[in-house]
Amino acid sequence: MKEFDLEKLSREMPYKMPEHFLDDMTERVVSQIGKQRKQRKERKFIAMFAGAASAAAVALLLLHPFGSARLDIPDYESISQCTSVDDLFQTMSADELNIYSMMSNYYGN
Amino acid sequence: MQSQGSLSVSDESIARMLCDDSHVEQAVRLIMSKYGEQLYWHIRRMVVAHDDAEDCLQETMINVYKYRSTYSNEFPLSSWLYKIATNESLKLLKNRAGFTLSVDDLGDSLKESVREEASPNADETLILLQEAIALLPAKQKMVFNLRYYDDKSYEEIHQIVGDSVNTLKTNYHYAVQKIKDYILEHQL
Repeated sequence: MKEFDLEKLSREMPYKMPEHFLDDMTERVVSQIGKQRKQRKERKFIAMFAGAASAAAVALLLLHPFGSARLDIPDYESISQCTSVDDLFQTMSADELNIYSMMSNYYGN
Repeated sequence: MQSQGSLSVSDESIARMLCDDSHVEQAVRLIMSKYGEQLYWHIRRMVVAHDDAEDCLQETMINVYKYRSTYSNEFPLSSWLYKIATNESLKLLKNRAGFTLSVDDLGDSLKESVREEASPNADETLILLQEAIALLPAKQKMVFNLRYYDDKSYEEIHQIVGDSVNTLKTNYHYAVQKIKDYILEHQL
C-alpha cells in the first residue's frame, strides 16, 4: 500500500500575496479606524451638547420667575409702604426707570 | 513581513496600547506588522481567494479595534487575533453558502478556486494539498491549518476554536487521513 508523509511536504503555499499588500492594508485599516474614532468623538460631542442644552432648558423652566413675579412689579402692599414718590423710584430698577421715562415722554408726564 | 521593531514589542505592551485611545493606531500598526502575514495566510487557507482574504483581514483588524475592550490577557494576544480571523473567515463562507447550504457544502467550489488562485509555477503536490484541505469540513480544516501550518499547540487551538483538546486531536487525525487519501488518489 502506498504511503504519503505529509510532514516531509513543504509548508509553502501555491499562492502569492501581492507585493506591498500588508503595507497598503495597514494604511487602509488605520485610516478607517481614524474615521471611526472621529465619528465617535463627534457623536460624543453632540450627545454632550444635547445633554447640556436639555439641562439648561430644565434649569430655565425651574428657576425662571414665571407667574406673579414675572414682571418684577412691586405689589400694592410694597407701594403703599413707600412714604414718597422718591422712595418708590428708589425701589425701581434701571429698566423700570427707563420704561417709566419713556411712558412719561409719550403721555406728556 | 515581521519588522524588527514590532518583534521587539511584547504582546502585553501591544494589548495595553490597544486599550489606550491615544495609542490605538500604533497598536494596530504593530499587530499588522507582527501578525498581519500569519493572519492573512490563516484566512487565505480558509477562504482560498485573495480578494476574500483581503476583505476578511480588513474586517478582522476593524473588529480588533472595535472589540478591543473584550480582550482578556488570560489568553495570548495571538490566540485572540486568530479567533477573530477565524470567525471572519467562517462568516464570509457562511454568507457565501446562503440559507440553503452549509459551509461544509462549499468544498467543491473552494477546490476549484485553488487551481484558479495557484501561481502558474506552483508545485502540483502543493496544489493537491490545498485542494484536499478545501474539501475538508470547516472544523477539520481549521484544526489542520492551525496545527500543520501555524504550528499551534492543541491548547492554543482550543483557545481559538473552542473545542476540547481530545475533539481537536480527533479532527486533526481525520483531516490528515483524508488529505493523504486525496493526494495519493490524485497524484500522478
